[in-house]
Amino acid sequence: MRLSDASAVGDATVALDRGLLTRGDRVQLLRLMEMMRAAEERGLALYKQGKVPGSFYDGRGEEAISVGAAFALGPRDRLCILHRDLGAHFVRGVTPDRYLANYMGRAGGVTGGKDGNMHFGDRALGCVGMVSMLPDMAPVANGIALAFKMRGEPRVALTFFGEGSTANGQWHEAMNFAGIHRLPVVFVLENNRFAYSTPNQLEFAVDPVERASGYGFPGVGVDGNDVEAVFTATAAAAERAREGGGPTLIGCETMRMHGHGAHDDMSYVPAALREEWERRDPIDGYAARLVAELGFEESEVSDVRAEVRSYVAECAERALASPPPEPEVAGEGVFAERWQPLGDGAAPWSRWAETGADGARRAA
Amino acid sequence: MSSSPTERPAEAALVEVAMPQMGISVAEGTIVEWRKRPGDWVEADEPICDVSTDKVDVEIPAPTAGRLARILVEPGETVAVGAVLAVLDGAARPGQAHPQESPPPVAAEPPAPELDRSGFYSPVVRRIAAEHGVELERVEGHGVGGRVRKADLLAFIEHPEPEPTPEREPALEPAPERAAAASPAAEPAELLGPSHREPMSPMRRQIARHMVASRRGAAHCTTVVEVDFSRVVARRRELREAMARRGVNLTYLAFVAAETVAALARHPVLNASVEGEEIVYHEDVNLGIAVALEDGLIVPVIRQAQRLSLEGLAAAIGDLATRAREKRLHPDEVRGGTFTITNPGQFGAVLATPIINQPQVAILDLEAVVKRPVVVEREGEDSIAIRPLSYLCMSWDHRALDGAEAARFLGGIKHGLEQAD
Amino acid sequence: MAELTYLEAISDALRTEMRRDDSVFCLGEDIGAFGGAFKVTAGLAEEFGADRVLDAPLAENAIIGAATGAAIEGMRPVCEMQFADFVACGFDQLVNVAAKLHYRQGVAVPMVVRLPSGGGFSGGPFHSQNPEAWFLQAPGLKVLAPATAADAKGLLASAIRDPNPVCFLEHKGLYRHVRGEVPEGEYTVPIGKARVAREGAELTVVAYGSAVHLALAAAEQLGEEIEVLDLRSLCPLDREAILASARKTGKVLIAHEATRACGAGAEVAALIGEEAFEDLDAPIRRLTAPDVPIPFSPPLEQAVLPQLEQMKEACRELLAY
Repeated sequence: MRLSDASAVGDATVALDRGLLTRGDRVQLLRLMEMMRAAEERGLALYKQGKVPGSFYDGRGEEAISVGAAFALGPRDRLCILHRDLGAHFVRGVTPDRYLANYMGRAGGVTGGKDGNMHFGDRALGCVGMVSMLPDMAPVANGIALAFKMRGEPRVALTFFGEGSTANGQWHEAMNFAGIHRLPVVFVLENNRFAYSTPNQLEFAVDPVERASGYGFPGVGVDGNDVEAVFTATAAAAERAREGGGPTLIGCETMRMHGHGAHDDMSYVPAALREEWERRDPIDGYAARLVAELGFEESEVSDVRAEVRSYVAECAERALASPPPEPEVAGEGVFAERWQPLGDGAAPWSRWAETGADGARRAA
Repeated sequence: MSSSPTERPAEAALVEVAMPQMGISVAEGTIVEWRKRPGDWVEADEPICDVSTDKVDVEIPAPTAGRLARILVEPGETVAVGAVLAVLDGAARPGQAHPQESPPPVAAEPPAPELDRSGFYSPVVRRIAAEHGVELERVEGHGVGGRVRKADLLAFIEHPEPEPTPEREPALEPAPERAAAASPAAEPAELLGPSHREPMSPMRRQIARHMVASRRGAAHCTTVVEVDFSRVVARRRELREAMARRGVNLTYLAFVAAETVAALARHPVLNASVEGEEIVYHEDVNLGIAVALEDGLIVPVIRQAQRLSLEGLAAAIGDLATRAREKRLHPDEVRGGTFTITNPGQFGAVLATPIINQPQVAILDLEAVVKRPVVVEREGEDSIAIRPLSYLCMSWDHRALDGAEAARFLGGIKHGLEQAD
Repeated sequence: MAELTYLEAISDALRTEMRRDDSVFCLGEDIGAFGGAFKVTAGLAEEFGADRVLDAPLAENAIIGAATGAAIEGMRPVCEMQFADFVACGFDQLVNVAAKLHYRQGVAVPMVVRLPSGGGFSGGPFHSQNPEAWFLQAPGLKVLAPATAADAKGLLASAIRDPNPVCFLEHKGLYRHVRGEVPEGEYTVPIGKARVAREGAELTVVAYGSAVHLALAAAEQLGEEIEVLDLRSLCPLDREAILASARKTGKVLIAHEATRACGAGAEVAALIGEEAFEDLDAPIRRLTAPDVPIPFSPPLEQAVLPQLEQMKEACRELLAY
């Protein structure tokens, strides 16, 4: 393959001054967050009903981050999505039935039963599945960004990680490498207060967002429970990356409202802290804001939320109907016969729709 | 090096040190250790090496004074009886430099002793033999330890030897000794629990081979008689103290030995050996007495036992047993047996089927003497009495005799013991 | 044909493949203008530019992780570990991310990790290892270990074109001591095919890497009917070639410089034991390093690494068996 053969990607520069989000975009943001909440609640219920083998992890309280960040990306951008970021999968086009089927180890799950819980990524939607070791996807996102940079494509790689990951040596290796090569990569840090049970003060002496400057790129702190703030910061970071400005670390302050997994009762979390963050629920907060500040009707908002809940319920039925995988599948696919490109994901942000279903490609 | 003849040992002055014969069944011995190195001066009768055989561990004394010229068998190696172990230069004088002194051997790993592998067949050899219907015993092996290699078998198939003559066929003579380790498939380790593995001692290995060969070669039968030891107990009580004063320990075994020697005179076929299709009758009763050792078993021999009295037999048994346990037996004392008695009864056993000590035709086993209730008949009336009883178990070779003879032989011993006076 | 050293053949493969395919690039420590610790990449930065012969910071996980990401996106990265030993620092990315991506979600990772391996020059415990067996326990990785200059070129080219992560073990002792005829221009050797380096009927020596040369020298000096099977590829293993040779000779010696327990040789022995038991005329034997780290001092290192005399002795024993 020669470089000239690679599909060239046009200029997808986003004007970030004002009017970024249409009314339809905001409905989407609300809808996707609610979808994540509802799907995870459903998954937890299936887990408690014994339908989900292994363990169960969710991102309750962190819905604004994955939805807001992924919403800013274009179809040909690539994502490495972590385990508290179900919303990002939904943004890209994964449906809740495939998510739930994956949790249940069914053939209809994203990995077809080969991997469980949140360890998936739909390659057809431009996503690379995470592994349990953290933050292993940061060096991988670098590599994806390196490919974009080497080919001169205005595309972005984005990965998430928690503040717990920032203690690992690979985090330093990844930040350093990205800084040296000014890679078009966006790092979304979710500081959800605890690495399992370990609180912030035992995780780091210097806030990781501050550390970004030490690697030669900006660290931006945002309210991780404000979906539009996360979206805006990510859109800006992505634009900067596309223009050759290099990486950005977006530090999202949030709170993990459930245990590390369903097996964790969070006894280590002070009640006051929980109550404080209950009041800052990202979905209820955004719904209220849509009504109070952005001209939405109360019923409009509640209809969106109700509609998506009934959609998730339908999806759950489909997931339950999905058969278990055939045992012989276990022996298949260790080696690839050929390389195939990742597919492009959905990009529901109206800005991408304005330039066509695949604006970036058309611009070329 | 000077060519002056005075400084070169004349070939005539070279004295060979050979592997001694250490027992009737002993065909080979293993060098345990060399106490001298080439070039060392040795006095006559000074131990120069240690040899282990199936029966005894012995020091090999130098046959002459001189300088150890060459070592031909390294520690760990097993060689046949008669093999030359080393060469001494009997013409050398103390202090004189050895003209052929070789550098001291480097501490090389001793080569593994070459095992007899003539009975081992590799998977491919078994398969090809089965496919071609070849009797592997007929194939001459040229591999390690006489092993039949694939190449040997293929050559055999290509050029089969002439049909064997009938004389060679009958299975009267013992089958070739197979490796004693031809054991069934090992148990799965997880079911066995913790274990550890040790190589068999040379003695253990020899016993194993010898016993397996005996079982294969001889037509074993075992006959048992019950003997009332009341009279023996009484006689022993009478004689014991006087003999003890003379340094003799009178045991039940001595009584049994004495009656056995007497019975052998009446039944010469039991004081014999089978060789091919012939029976060799021995004039002397060379009575082997099995002695249990910590790590095995040894059978010292009382020569011309027919000349000994009860006390003489008791004394000989005591002496041989003591020296056997102290490993002080002379090699000649463990060979040449014509009949063997074993005595596991001393450890409480009541019944056994011993294996014949080849090439003898029988082995008598004395079991524990225990008090049992028995029916005794006195003046036509049956009554229950308590009597010291024991079983005499004899394994005998059906090739040499039949059951009636064995029973009569044992009956004679029984009678003698029950009438002891 | 050109006569090249093993090292030149590797350079030649890199250059040829980089000329052929723009997506091929090199990534590693000191590999750019400096040309690499062993000068394998010397001259490449001049020809292809620093962007395609990328100097990386001293961070093996960052290197292998970046290669993984770039490979996912259709590049063909060739990472150099400065010494094979240092792959331990990038092990996580290799075995947890790259090896499993295709199995888990069908994402192919066409990348090569070059691993200068092996001892014999007082490199000590951290510059002498033969870590191939580490990767044989990580399904999803291919593992190659060429012995000749031609195979070094042809297998590296194949590795670069393969859609999977490939660990390419290049023995440092062969770099400048082994030379041979190497086809010019584009040249590939199929992955997963062993090579009969010498034919014989009495004994098979299964070897790879440096041990192939020991086996050939032993066979030559003994003048016996010894077959030498050069595995070239440890994963996938050429089962058919191994079994064919074992069935032919009935006697097998397996030799490698790597340590013994659970080494590649153990797998070969197990394969023969399972599949060709009834063709064996002797126990399967191994000649390997013992299970110790590679020591520094020359007499100690020689005591650990398999030597020619040991190879000859092992052959003699099996021939006589």
